[in-house]
Amino acid sequence: MSMADATANSHAVEGARPLRDALIAYRRNKPALLGMLLLSAIIAFVIYGTFFFKGDPYEIVWAPQTPPGTDAAVPLGTDYLGRDIMRGLLKGGGPTLAVGAAAAIITLVIGISLGGIAGFFGGWIDDLLMRVTEFFQVLPALLFAMVVITLFSPSTLTTAIAIGVVLWPQTARLTRAEFLKIRELEYVTAARSIGARNGRIMWKVILPNALPPLVVSATLTVGVAILFQAGLSFLGLDDPNTMSWGLMIGTNRQYILDAWWPVTFPGIAIFLTVFAVSLVGDGLNDAFNPKLRGR
Amino acid sequence: MTEPLLSIRDLKVEFSTRNGRVTALDGIDLDLMPGETLGIVGESGCGKSITALATMGLIPDPPGRIAGGRILFDGEDITHADARRLRSLRGADISMIFQEPMTSLNPVFTAGDQIAEAIILHQQLGRAEANRKAVELLRTVGIPEPERRARSFPHELSGGMRQRVMIAMAISCRPRVLIADEPTTALDVTVQAQIFDLMRDIQKEFGVAIMLITHDMGAIAEMADRVAVMYAGRIVEKGSADAILDNPLHPYTRGLIDCIPVLGKAAGEQGRMPPLAEIPGVVPPLHLLGQGCAFADRCPLAFDRCRIETPILDGRSHGVACFATEMEAV
Repeated sequence: MSMADATANSHAVEGARPLRDALIAYRRNKPALLGMLLLSAIIAFVIYGTFFFKGDPYEIVWAPQTPPGTDAAVPLGTDYLGRDIMRGLLKGGGPTLAVGAAAAIITLVIGISLGGIAGFFGGWIDDLLMRVTEFFQVLPALLFAMVVITLFSPSTLTTAIAIGVVLWPQTARLTRAEFLKIRELEYVTAARSIGARNGRIMWKVILPNALPPLVVSATLTVGVAILFQAGLSFLGLDDPNTMSWGLMIGTNRQYILDAWWPVTFPGIAIFLTVFAVSLVGDGLNDAFNPKLRGR
Repeated sequence: MTEPLLSIRDLKVEFSTRNGRVTALDGIDLDLMPGETLGIVGESGCGKSITALATMGLIPDPPGRIAGGRILFDGEDITHADARRLRSLRGADISMIFQEPMTSLNPVFTAGDQIAEAIILHQQLGRAEANRKAVELLRTVGIPEPERRARSFPHELSGGMRQRVMIAMAISCRPRVLIADEPTTALDVTVQAQIFDLMRDIQKEFGVAIMLITHDMGAIAEMADRVAVMYAGRIVEKGSADAILDNPLHPYTRGLIDCIPVLGKAAGEQGRMPPLAEIPGVVPPLHLLGQGCAFADRCPLAFDRCRIETPILDGRSHGVACFATEMEAV
């Protein structure tokens, strides 16, 4: 067998390349591509701000409440103390995105594990886990997050944990519903009939089929978590020594009638981030669902 | 005489339902010899698929449970085998193909991946080796361009091809028993014939014993060596395929055979075809089964005894459970 044959053959038996297929599908999806570009730009901006930009966002650099465009040194103006809004955006993005991503991951891990187990096994396990889920669900979310944060000292990590602990029940319910639906399908019986064990059926047969709504829900969770953090900062429960977009809105809210820019620019940053993440989530959903490809 | 490979003795399966406990299988006796094809026929709801699932240890529990009897595979009682033992049997020694090739393949994995998965579960093989074998199996089951098709997702394949993929999965570990639960019901007629041809070829090549579950007497005529006719959770007639097709004893079997349309048969004087035969009524709901023969209400030959006593399958090689016709068989 020649070298060329061997390569061709190894390609043939390589099996599917779902990642590559998904990538091709993703690239054809214009809104998803736009979302990805926007998100990349935001992440680049935040990475630059976090690791390369050396300015201190707490430093008072100019006259208080200077409107944007007054001077090239403070392009987006200053807040009520005379701190640079642009620096705040640059330095505050890192903690904001980190909290959003970490909270979404915590939500997914808890939600998928508990929801998956409940939906797959049913019976008393389901009852027990769903009662626990409902217990968390009936607690007022913001209040509960505040309690968690005040129990520990406010930091980026505790904020992420508090938000994750508050948001997971939705994901758990969604996962459970998907598992309940999918476990009755014939390909699950077929997987059993070839000798697959429960763990394999749960995570390798059912979960991949349950993923599309979960991916969308996860991206929405990132958005919700960022907004949640903004809300907590607004209430003064975020770490005041870590600049974040939410904190900027929170500290400047009292002066919103005198100066619109200190709250508007971080607000736009949060909006764009959530928007970009949602577009990417939708795009991922379409790309990873083979049936929706090529629509 | 060779020992049966699979032997089901007095199997009872019960389900708890809203209407109380119902008996889905009521004392089934079946033997499957190595390399033969045993046909199990009956209408929907008569217990064919439950028999198959019970053999695989896949009765959903709850609500179902095996209430009595034994299932012996190669002499080993697997009725109450633990989960680990059952998993090692499934797919490796006993495997199954399903009715709906549309829904019995996992939509998010490629055909090749799924076959490779079945191989990896039972054999110590690496992914690359398993993928190579998967392509080989696709070739065996007659799929053109197996290298390309291995990378297709189920929705990119036709119904017949999907059923071939299912068969490839089922035979991937060279099982000794293949349970085919209405393997061609969802396929069109020409594809049905191809799938039956494939199953026969595979039986010849691998020597696998096939338990063919169907409601189609035509499929029985084409495939089966021996036949068991089921009605409402019991076997009502059992014997060689020839004997049953040529000389059906149970009125239910006769009804099933009369339902096969025959081309050109008895076009009347005006050239009109007689209406297609049917068996009046439906299989009674299991919770309404009372005493007597379950078929009595639909039976043209039923008399008083049929409504009081339940007929027992007699032990002859061509056995029947019917008071009205058992005398004929002697």
